Amino acid sequence: MKQFDSTKLGIATFDPPPMNTSRVAKDFGLDRAKARLPIASEKTVNRELMTLFSQHKVEFAVVAFLQVLTVLAALVAPRAFGNLLESLKDGAGRSAVVTTVTVIAIALVVQTVFAYFTRTKAAILGEFVLSSLRERFVQRAVQLPPDAIERAGSGELLNRTTTDINHVTWAVRDALPVITICVSEIVIISLGIFFTAPIFLAAALITLPFVVALTRWYLRRSPQAYRVETSLYSQVNSVLVETAEGGRTIEALQLGEDRLIRTRSAIGRWVQWEQYTMRLRTRWFPAVSFSYIAPLAAVLLIGASLYANGEISLAQVTAAMLYTQMLADPIEGLLWWIDEFQSGKASLSRLLGIYEVPDREIKEGDPADDQIAGDRVCYAYRTGHNVLQDVSFQIAPGTRVAVVGPSGAGKSTLGRLLAGIQPPTSGRVTVGNTEIGYLPVEQARSHVALVTQEHHVFVGTIRENVALAFSSVPDDQIWAALRAVNADSWVLLLPTGLDTEVGSGGYKLVPAQAQQIALARLVLANPRTLVLDEATSLLDAKAARNLEGSLNEVLKHRTVISIAHRLQTAHDADLIAVVEAGEITEWGSHQELLLANGAYAALWRSWRDEH
Amino acid sequence: MPRLKIPTPFSQLPLVDPGVPVLKSVPRLMWWIATGMKRLLVSGTLFGIFGIGSMAAMPGFIGQAVQAVADKNQDQVNFWAGMILLLGAFTAWTTIARHRRATAMWVTCATRLQQLIALQANKLGADLPKYVSTGEVVSVNSNDVERVARGFDLIPRFIGAVISFFVVAIILVRGAPTLGLLVVFGVPILVSGIAILIKPLERRESIQRAKLSRASDLASDTVAGLRVLRGIGGEDVFVARFKAASQEVRVAAVHTARMRAILHGLEVLLPGVLLIGVVWGGGMLVATGNLQIGTLVAFAGYSVWMVLPIQTMVEFAQRWASASVSGKRILKLLSVTPTNEWGSKELLTVDSIKDLKSGLEINAGDYLVVVSDNGTNIDELVDRIGGYLDINSVEINSIKMSQYQKQSVRAKVLVQEKDPTILSGTVETHFAVINSGEVQVSEALNAASAQDILDSLDGQGMTAEIIERGRTLSGGQRQRLALARSLYVDSDLLILDEPTSAVDAHSEARIASRIKALRAAKTTVIISSSPLILDTASKVALLQDNKVVAVGKHQDLLNNNELYRSMVVRGE
Repeated sequence: MKQFDSTKLGIATFDPPPMNTSRVAKDFGLDRAKARLPIASEKTVNRELMTLFSQHKVEFAVVAFLQVLTVLAALVAPRAFGNLLESLKDGAGRSAVVTTVTVIAIALVVQTVFAYFTRTKAAILGEFVLSSLRERFVQRAVQLPPDAIERAGSGELLNRTTTDINHVTWAVRDALPVITICVSEIVIISLGIFFTAPIFLAAALITLPFVVALTRWYLRRSPQAYRVETSLYSQVNSVLVETAEGGRTIEALQLGEDRLIRTRSAIGRWVQWEQYTMRLRTRWFPAVSFSYIAPLAAVLLIGASLYANGEISLAQVTAAMLYTQMLADPIEGLLWWIDEFQSGKASLSRLLGIYEVPDREIKEGDPADDQIAGDRVCYAYRTGHNVLQDVSFQIAPGTRVAVVGPSGAGKSTLGRLLAGIQPPTSGRVTVGNTEIGYLPVEQARSHVALVTQEHHVFVGTIRENVALAFSSVPDDQIWAALRAVNADSWVLLLPTGLDTEVGSGGYKLVPAQAQQIALARLVLANPRTLVLDEATSLLDAKAARNLEGSLNEVLKHRTVISIAHRLQTAHDADLIAVVEAGEITEWGSHQELLLANGAYAALWRSWRDEH
Repeated sequence: MPRLKIPTPFSQLPLVDPGVPVLKSVPRLMWWIATGMKRLLVSGTLFGIFGIGSMAAMPGFIGQAVQAVADKNQDQVNFWAGMILLLGAFTAWTTIARHRRATAMWVTCATRLQQLIALQANKLGADLPKYVSTGEVVSVNSNDVERVARGFDLIPRFIGAVISFFVVAIILVRGAPTLGLLVVFGVPILVSGIAILIKPLERRESIQRAKLSRASDLASDTVAGLRVLRGIGGEDVFVARFKAASQEVRVAAVHTARMRAILHGLEVLLPGVLLIGVVWGGGMLVATGNLQIGTLVAFAGYSVWMVLPIQTMVEFAQRWASASVSGKRILKLLSVTPTNEWGSKELLTVDSIKDLKSGLEINAGDYLVVVSDNGTNIDELVDRIGGYLDINSVEINSIKMSQYQKQSVRAKVLVQEKDPTILSGTVETHFAVINSGEVQVSEALNAASAQDILDSLDGQGMTAEIIERGRTLSGGQRQRLALARSLYVDSDLLILDEPTSAVDAHSEARIASRIKALRAAKTTVIISSSPLILDTASKVALLQDNKVVAVGKHQDLLNNNELYRSMVVRGE
C-alpha cells in the first residue's frame, strides 16, 4: 500500500505521542503556531486576578458565606443518621426516628436553598466579570497600532478573540465555582471528621498524598495530550473538507487515492493520540478510584477498635465513614478542575498580552497642506534586507499617481508607508511636511486612507458596511458613494436594498462587489489622499476601468496613488512611478516615459501590440 | 513509573478497508456497525455488568461492616474491611476495562464512518455539489459521526446499569418489601423529576449559545476587519455593537444559571427526600426489631446508588435519540449513487476536440487563445471541453466524449479553473501529482514566474507549508503556483481559464512567452483577452453570443475584425 508522509498533512501536524508514558510531554508541536503578539507574564495575570477580586470583594464574600452554610448543612445528615443508629442500638423508640428525620429534613431544606443561592450569586458575579473581560479585550484590540495588527496577522488575533475568550469563559463559568465549592467542601468535611474524632481525619486522608502524586503525574501529561488529540480529530475533518471542496481539482489531477491515504494518515495519527491518552487514563483512573475506597477500610478498622474499647460511639464511627465517602467527590473535582483553571489562566495571559503591545510612537504635528513627499526612504522587514532603498519623491496635491512594477518590488510596502501604517526604517515620509507614520492613527487617517485588495465585508447591512464610523449619514450620501464606485446598480436590484444583510452568514457578495464596497467606504470617509493597493484587481478589466473613471470624477481634487498591475491604470494617471527592486527606476507622465524609451515603454508597446 | 506498555484494543485502526455498509435502513446500518466489533461489544458489556454490579454491592458490604462494628465482632470487622478493599480493587479494574472497550468502540465506529464518507466524497468527486452540498458532507463528518459513535460508547455501561438495577431491586424487595418498593419506585420518579427540568434548561442553554455565538461572530468580524477599521474609522461603532451583544450573553447566561441552580437544588433535595423516606421507614423497622442496623445502612447506601443506573438509562435514551437522527443523515449521504454518463472506450491520444454548441475546434498541437464577448458563457464552454458538463455535446477524435472512459479523459485533458484549488501541504506535495515526467518542477515554476514565491516562504523553499486554500498567499501567488502545477502535469491537452488575471503586467509578459515554449509539443487552450497572451497564440478564436465567429492570427484579427479590435485594444 502507498505510504503517506505525515508532513503532507499540513501546518497543524503534531508529533506522534511518546512511546511510553513516563516522558513528560511538553508541547508536541502545540507552540509551533508561534505567538506573534505578546503574552502577559504570570505576574501580570495574577495582578489582574487580584484586581478583579478586590473590585468585587463584597460579592465574593457573599458567595463564600453562602457556600460555607451549604456545606455545613450537608454535614448534618450523616451525623444525625449515626446518632439514630446509636440510639436505636441502645433500644430507643420511634420518637428518636421522628426527631432524626425532622433534623435531617430541616438541614436538607437549608442545604437546598443555600445551594441554589450560592450558584445563582456565583453566576451573576462570574458573568459580570466575564463580560467586562471580553469587552475590554475587544476595546483594546481595536486600538492596536496598525503595524502591530499587520505583524500579528488576523489569525493570531482571531484565535485570541475566539479560542482564548472561550477558555477563559469555561474557567470562570465552570472551573472557578467548582474549585471554590470543592475547596470549601474538603475543608469543612475534614473539619467535620476531625471533630467527630481527630484520629479519623488521618485515616480518611491516608491515601491523599498518593492521589495527589498520581494526579499530578497525570495532569503533567494529559492537558497537552488532549489538546493535541482534539486538534487531530478536527484535522480528520479538515482533510475531508478539502476533499469535498476541491473535488474538481482532485479529480482533474487524479489525486483520489492520495486523498484516501491522507484521510487514513490523519485518522492514524489521531488514533495514536487517542491510544496515548487512554494509556494515561489506564494508569490514573483505577489507582485513583481505589484510593477513595482504601480510607473507608482504614476508618472502619480504627473505628471498630476504638468503639470496642468504648472510646467513641457508634454514631461517630458511622458519621466518620459517611464523611469519608463524601470527601471523594470534592477531591476528585478539585484535582480535575484545577487543570481546567490553569488552561483558563494560560488563555487569560494571552488575552492580557495585547495590553503589552507597544503603542505607536507619536510625534505631534499638524500637516500644513496635502503635499506628499518621501526623502531617502528605506524600509527593511529584516535588518540588512532593504525592501525599499533610498526612495525620494514629491507629489503635489490633486495628482493621480500610478505605481507599477513586478511583484515583490516593494510597491505595497511603499503604499503602507504613504498611508502612515508605520514610519520608514530610515528617511522621512511626510504629508504637509509632517511625518505621517508618527501621527496618531485617527489624525493620520483623516489625511491619507489605504484600500488594499484585502476586502473585508462586515456582518451587517450594506448601509452599515459603507457608513462604518458615519453611522448617521443620510441614505442619499450612501447612494452617492455607491454610485461613485458603480455599485448602485446591483445594490438597487437587491430585494432589501441598503438593508440587505451581508458578511458571514448573510447575502454573499462576490469579491468584485466586496471591493466596490471597500471603495465606497473610502468615498464616504473622504480623506484628502487615497492610496489604492490593487483596489480594483478583482474586477474584470473593463469594469475596473469604468470604476476608476467614475471614481476619478468624485475624487477630482484629491491625491490618488494607485498601485496596480494593469497598465491601463498607469496610462490614465498623471504620473507613473516604476518600482523595481526597491527603487523608483522611472518617474514621469505616460508620454514622458514613452519618450524615455525605458522598461515601461517596452512593456507598454508589447501590451498594445505596437511592434 | 514503570515503563509498561499497555496494548490498546484499537491499535489496528485505521482500517485498511472500511467494508461495504448495509444501507437498507438506519437500524440495519447500526447493526452492521455493531457486528463489525462483536468482540469489543461482548467483552465490554461483560465488564460493564461486573463493574457496575460491584459498585452496587458496596453499600451492602459497608452495611455488613457497620453491623459487625455494632456487634463488636472484630473478626467480622476485619473480614468486611478486607472485602471492601477487594471489592474496591475489583471495581477499579472492571471499570477501566469497560472504559477501554467502550472507547475502542466509539473510535472504531467513528473511524469506519469517516473512512466510508471519505470514500463516498471521492467517488462523487467533481460531481459532489450536484448531489449534496459540501457543507452537508462536512457537518455529517464532524457532528453526526461523533453522535452515532458516542451511542455505541454507552452500550456496555447501559447494559451493566440495567442488570445491576434489577439485581439490587430484588435484593431490596426481598430484604424489606415496603422499604424496597419505596426505593425501587422512588428513584425513577426522582430522576424523572429532575429530567423534567432538562428540556427548559436545554432551551435556555441553546438561547445562550446562540447569543454567545452571535457575540463571538461580531468579535471575530471586528477583529478580522480591523485593518479596515483602523484605516478608515468606525472602531467605536463596532465596539458598541459588540458590547451590546456581550451584555445580551451575560443576561442569557445568568438566566440559564438560575435554571441550572434550580436543577442543582433538586439534585440535592430529591435524593435527600428519598433518604429521609428510607431513614424513616427503616428506622421504624429497626425500632420495632424488624430490621438490623447494618441492613438500614445498606439500604440508605442503595437508595443513593440507585440514582446512577437510572441516570445512565436516561442518558442512553437521549444519546440514541440523537444518534438515530444522525444515523439517518449518514445513511442519506452514503446512499447517494452518482449516475454514470461515461462509456468504456479508452482515450489514447487527443487528435481533435470539437464543441458542437459553440463550434470551437481544437487540433493536436494548437496553442489556441479564446476571446469572448459578454454574451458568451465562457465557464460552460470550459466545462464542456474539459468534460465536466454536457459531455454529449463534445466530440473527441470525432467520437462523442460520453463514449470514453472518464478516467482516461481526465488523464489526457486537464482544466485549470479560474480560481484553482490549492490543497494544504508543502510546496513539494503541491507538485506530488501524476505527471508526464517530461517537465521538471523547476521548469514549471520558472515558466509560471513563480520562483519568487519559494523565496518568500520564510526561506524554506520546497518544504514550506501551504495552508488550506493557500490563504497565506496573495491572489497572484496562488494563481502562479497553480499554473506551475498544471504545467508540471504536462497533460496532452491543457485548458487554462484566465491563468494570469491576478498577475502584474511584467510577470504576465514573461509567463506568456514561457508557457508557449514549454508547451511546444502539446495542445494548449487559454481563455484570456490579454494582448500579452494573445500575441503568443498560434491561433485565436473569437466567440460572440456563445458561437465562434472568427478564427485567425492575433495580428490578422486585429487588422480585419472590428469586434475583435474593440474587445482587445484598450486605451486612448
